Amino acid sequence: MRDGTLAELHWLTASDAARAIAAKELSPVELVQALIERIAKLDPKLNAFIRHDGSSALQAARQAEAEVMVGRLRGPLHGVPVGIKDIIDVAGLPTTCHSKILDGNIATADAVCVHKLRGAGAIVMGKLSTHEFAIGGPSFDLPWPPARNPWNINHHPGGSSSGSGSGVAAGLFPMALGSDTGGSVRNPASCCGIVGLKPTYGLVSRRGVFPLSFTLDHVGPMTRTVTDNALMLETLAGHDPLDPGSAAVPYGHYAAALERPVRGLRVGFVRHFHEVDLPAEPEVTAALDHVARTLQLEGMEVRDVTLPSLDEFRAINRVILQSEAWAIHEKWLQQRPGDYAQLSRRQLMTGAFFTAGDYTHAARRRLEMIAEVEAVLREVDVLLCASSMDPACRIDRPADLERTYPRQARTPFNVTGHPALAMMSGLSADGLPLSVQFAGRYFDEATVLQVARAWERASGVDGKHPPIL
Amino acid sequence: MDKATIEMLARRAGLAKALAEFPEDVAVAARQAESAVAKVKKCDDPRAEPWPPMRAGSGL
Repeated sequence: MRDGTLAELHWLTASDAARAIAAKELSPVELVQALIERIAKLDPKLNAFIRHDGSSALQAARQAEAEVMVGRLRGPLHGVPVGIKDIIDVAGLPTTCHSKILDGNIATADAVCVHKLRGAGAIVMGKLSTHEFAIGGPSFDLPWPPARNPWNINHHPGGSSSGSGSGVAAGLFPMALGSDTGGSVRNPASCCGIVGLKPTYGLVSRRGVFPLSFTLDHVGPMTRTVTDNALMLETLAGHDPLDPGSAAVPYGHYAAALERPVRGLRVGFVRHFHEVDLPAEPEVTAALDHVARTLQLEGMEVRDVTLPSLDEFRAINRVILQSEAWAIHEKWLQQRPGDYAQLSRRQLMTGAFFTAGDYTHAARRRLEMIAEVEAVLREVDVLLCASSMDPACRIDRPADLERTYPRQARTPFNVTGHPALAMMSGLSADGLPLSVQFAGRYFDEATVLQVARAWERASGVDGKHPPIL
Repeated sequence: MDKATIEMLARRAGLAKALAEFPEDVAVAARQAESAVAKVKKCDDPRAEPWPPMRAGSGL
């Protein structure tokens, strides 16, 4: 029913898998079976899954195959496997948020994003590791171990959507859902060398996703290629009247726009993020310069631009995030502080020490910072900047984790709500992914993806996979 | 923020149990809050509005 060998199926992109399944060249059962075998082999080292649901996935694959054989395709992701971060509800499965606190919390319905993926034909493979409640860091004092980086399992995979990043990069599934409140889709995308998009605030429904911070939370697609990311976003985007943050705006055919000409696009390079605000490792800086030169060679106009400082963006993000998170976790932190990991306990208790005035000042300053970014985005079509200032450090060195985790430029776009995508910019001398970030105007994911695709096409980063696997 | 202030604020927030079991974590949390607030510029314009804006309509 297909070309190629079983050994290659795990590197199939979602787009190629969907195309082959629709053409009856690939059986969804065979694809899912191959991934189940790969998960059985690799996940004991990677810990990407909290709960692997192989039997349900196989059942769904058989159903998908039966539908294909009678000419019925549910949608553009028919038969394509997907992993779901374990703060997102999947009907009948526990949503634990990787925490003792939610032990026994069985979801009664799919989150809207999962419902949409299933409606497009995707097959849920299971629930994925996260930092506890999507905050904190890799923790060894929780019921499940932290996910690890497939490029080097002694290194962390980023977070908080850590299992999503690890599993996509390792070929356990071609696409995954993550969430992003301070960079949690883009951090694992950066550490694991995949493509992670935080869409515009309000583009993707958050209903059925355990909240961290109501005004900063986003759900986003994580894939190995830009094309797959666009395809997944097409399925996820759209207004949800029952999500108070959801925007009633037209949304695009992102995949069709990917190959549009990029000549003449104006790119604002936010150099001060990684040269002044948080000086990056030399390899990171060199890779960013290489991306800028490549975009110029593709015909884009690259100019330096200035945004507010990373220090203030981070502070605004922290005050708002931790204040809103405190409102969610207050009762549990009062009654069950020992049931949290130390890292998340420290982050979540911080919200207890802000005043109403602190929160309101941050929210007011947030609007001013949005205006400053909007002013720059009237002069350029897309922003180019760093994502992480360092490659992923070792997972077993708390001091290194504490030092490198805040060294990032992702929170600005949670504060402002603009769409932002992180992907590989190259590899370090140690063979770990380096990263770049593109951000754009509100609801203009099409241009962000178009520029990301131009970089991917010119650099070939989509062909790089973890060698140890 | 001194130790007495941290303890007073923690108790006021209902964190007596955390204060007893994880005093260092409570202190770290308090210092993190203090550090973040110090980096947020205050708006000079008294009419400056927050984001997200208040909206009448479908959300109510």
